[in-house]
Amino acid sequence: MHKILTVAWREFRHTAMTKAFVLGAIVMPILMMALFILVIPLMMDSNTTPLQGTIVLVAPNDVVVELETQISKGITSIEEVADQLPDVITNDPIASAMLGNNSQTDISILVAPNENLDSLKDQVRNGDYVGLIVVPDSIIQDDESDEQLSLFIPSSFSPNHMDILTRATSQSVVNVRLRRLGHEPKDIHDLVRRPRTIATRLSDDGGEERDNEFARRIIPMAFMMLLWIATFTSGNCLLTTTIEEKSNKVMEVLLSAISPMQLLAGKILGQAGVSAVILCMYGSAALAGLVTFALLDLIPFAHLLMFVIFFVIAYFMIATIMAAVGSAVSELRDAQSLMGPVMLILIIPLALWPVLAEHPNGMIATISSFTPPLLPFVMILRVTASTEPVALWQVILSIGIGLGSVIAMLWMCARIFRIGILIQGKPPNILQLVKWIRQG
Amino acid sequence: MNCAIHLQGISKSFGDTKAVQHLELDIAQGSMCGFLGPNGAGKSTTIRMIMSIIHADSGSIDVLGTTALKAKDRIGYLPEERGVYRKMKVAKFIEYIANLKGMYGSSLKKTIAEWLERIDLPDVQHKKCEELSKGMQQKVQFLAAIIHEPELIILDEPFSGLDPVNAKVIGSVINDLHKEGRTILFSTHVLHQAEQICDRIVMIDQGVKVLDGSLGSIQEQFDPRIVQVETVDPSVCFDSIAGIANISMSEKNKRVNLRIHEDANPIDVLQKVVAFTPVRSAQISKPSLDEIFIEQVARSRGTEAAEAIRMELDHA
Repeated sequence: MHKILTVAWREFRHTAMTKAFVLGAIVMPILMMALFILVIPLMMDSNTTPLQGTIVLVAPNDVVVELETQISKGITSIEEVADQLPDVITNDPIASAMLGNNSQTDISILVAPNENLDSLKDQVRNGDYVGLIVVPDSIIQDDESDEQLSLFIPSSFSPNHMDILTRATSQSVVNVRLRRLGHEPKDIHDLVRRPRTIATRLSDDGGEERDNEFARRIIPMAFMMLLWIATFTSGNCLLTTTIEEKSNKVMEVLLSAISPMQLLAGKILGQAGVSAVILCMYGSAALAGLVTFALLDLIPFAHLLMFVIFFVIAYFMIATIMAAVGSAVSELRDAQSLMGPVMLILIIPLALWPVLAEHPNGMIATISSFTPPLLPFVMILRVTASTEPVALWQVILSIGIGLGSVIAMLWMCARIFRIGILIQGKPPNILQLVKWIRQG
Repeated sequence: MNCAIHLQGISKSFGDTKAVQHLELDIAQGSMCGFLGPNGAGKSTTIRMIMSIIHADSGSIDVLGTTALKAKDRIGYLPEERGVYRKMKVAKFIEYIANLKGMYGSSLKKTIAEWLERIDLPDVQHKKCEELSKGMQQKVQFLAAIIHEPELIILDEPFSGLDPVNAKVIGSVINDLHKEGRTILFSTHVLHQAEQICDRIVMIDQGVKVLDGSLGSIQEQFDPRIVQVETVDPSVCFDSIAGIANISMSEKNKRVNLRIHEDANPIDVLQKVVAFTPVRSAQISKPSLDEIFIEQVARSRGTEAAEAIRMELDHA
């Protein structure tokens, strides 16, 4: 056991305690998060420099008045959009920063007659005015008119400021149309504003539960992705370190000191530590996020427990595949041909995520949650996505099949590993691997 | 005799290739045994079977009274294919292998430093293995094989790739280990290396043992058929002397080697040579291992195969 632990510690140390790992798996995600949380709002904030200057307006008088009103009260129509978004998005600091991107303006409006438009365009071009807006009376009179609002701006004009002017002008036109028909725009807007809907799910046992679409869609995806990232990152490291030991010819030195099974056990154990570090790191970041937004109650403790169980199953499944492939080839590029079919199967849960999350108790989801090596990824998706709890017998059966598969895969992997680590040259095909398993 | 290694009728095939065939071998404890043969003779396969890295198709292997799997910590092994962890520091690599061999403790670092000094690598402890030359890496790996003070040391081609100076350093360490009473089995295809340091020779060809014994006893088995002469006049020609089959010049010591016909008596030829011209020295020389091996191959596989072996040994 001491030798297995020695191998495991080296495997862990030379994977998780390297600059490359710290940079790739820890620093980079932190930098990315920092970028989203701090830098983007700052950038957006700095981007919202007030729109200043004089706009020339060629429009009917009531449009001029309306536009002045719109600009003076600030462009707030985005609030209507925000109103329709789920709470969780408006709670998000990044989204809030983006939604709070209210346009500050310091604009004066110069009304001009519908003459000498070319001269006015030249003045806009020269920077005398920040823009020229032309509102034909016909588009107020007749909403089916072919004529359109025209906005002339300098080539360097900010898209954000252009959006402000476009929205303010088109809103003014709508308001003027309403006023001309004798309606108060605010009343009409209030009338057409769609009310928010609260969906409540009624369970068979008489209970009621408020539906949380976010929890239903995003959290299962997050659980599955976390499982994927944690197991595949360490699995990939297991693959590369095994190939490295073969290509460095250090394998025979190791085998003079330990048996192939001790080496395999140590490597799998060491990379399990790496996987656990990744899981804890990303998992705790996700939990911290949920705590920050007071959403922790979206994840019951049972789901976390299930996650740990299926993580163990998923890790050993992926690790045995990676160790077997790594032992069978001498170079990383040779591994691609063997990894291709495996990846094709393992990508299924990711590709079918929307379907599986929408119908977690459907036939595809149910069958794939009993099918190794997909089962840990699909079952954790089912467990966390289902509005109705997945039948306990199905969970137990899935765990049972998973553990049985892990034992079978470890056995097969050990047989391939024992032969593969001493083989150099042309990599074997799938049929040869089956032969190795039989030879053992 | 207490055997460190006892092989009984072991065979190993890879597909249709018979790598080792019914090999019987006993290596006494404390002996220094050379395991010789040309490339592809089956030396490394036999050693891998002794180390339980691969398993024999048939036969039994006993190493230090048990199997190599159970006695790994008591065996030091330098494989034919050299390998180190490229990114690991030298001392850490040796320490890791020592740990795997069951050697721990605070004194290990000091032991490693002392050994590095002894094999002329004093300042490489904190260097990464990839920073060392190939020869230096080989010495590091040799050290990793013996750092845990094993009873049995198996070295597969320990001198290949080493320059003469480093080969001498390693050869001296191997001699010291032998004097300390450790059993040493080393394979080589450069036969004269074994000639210099081994007290026991085992020779295999095409997976079959062809010679086994002490160097002296093997040499006695073969009829000495070379008269070696150092003449006063280097221009003398021996063509007229009957019984000489072949004449060659040794560039190294400026001596003439006269190969004697199968049906001629070497003593008669020696007498004729001395009578023919003044000589500084003249002797019937003992056959070298190269010559013995070539003759053995000629007996078992014919002269064509023997000539091929001669060419291979000349290039070694």
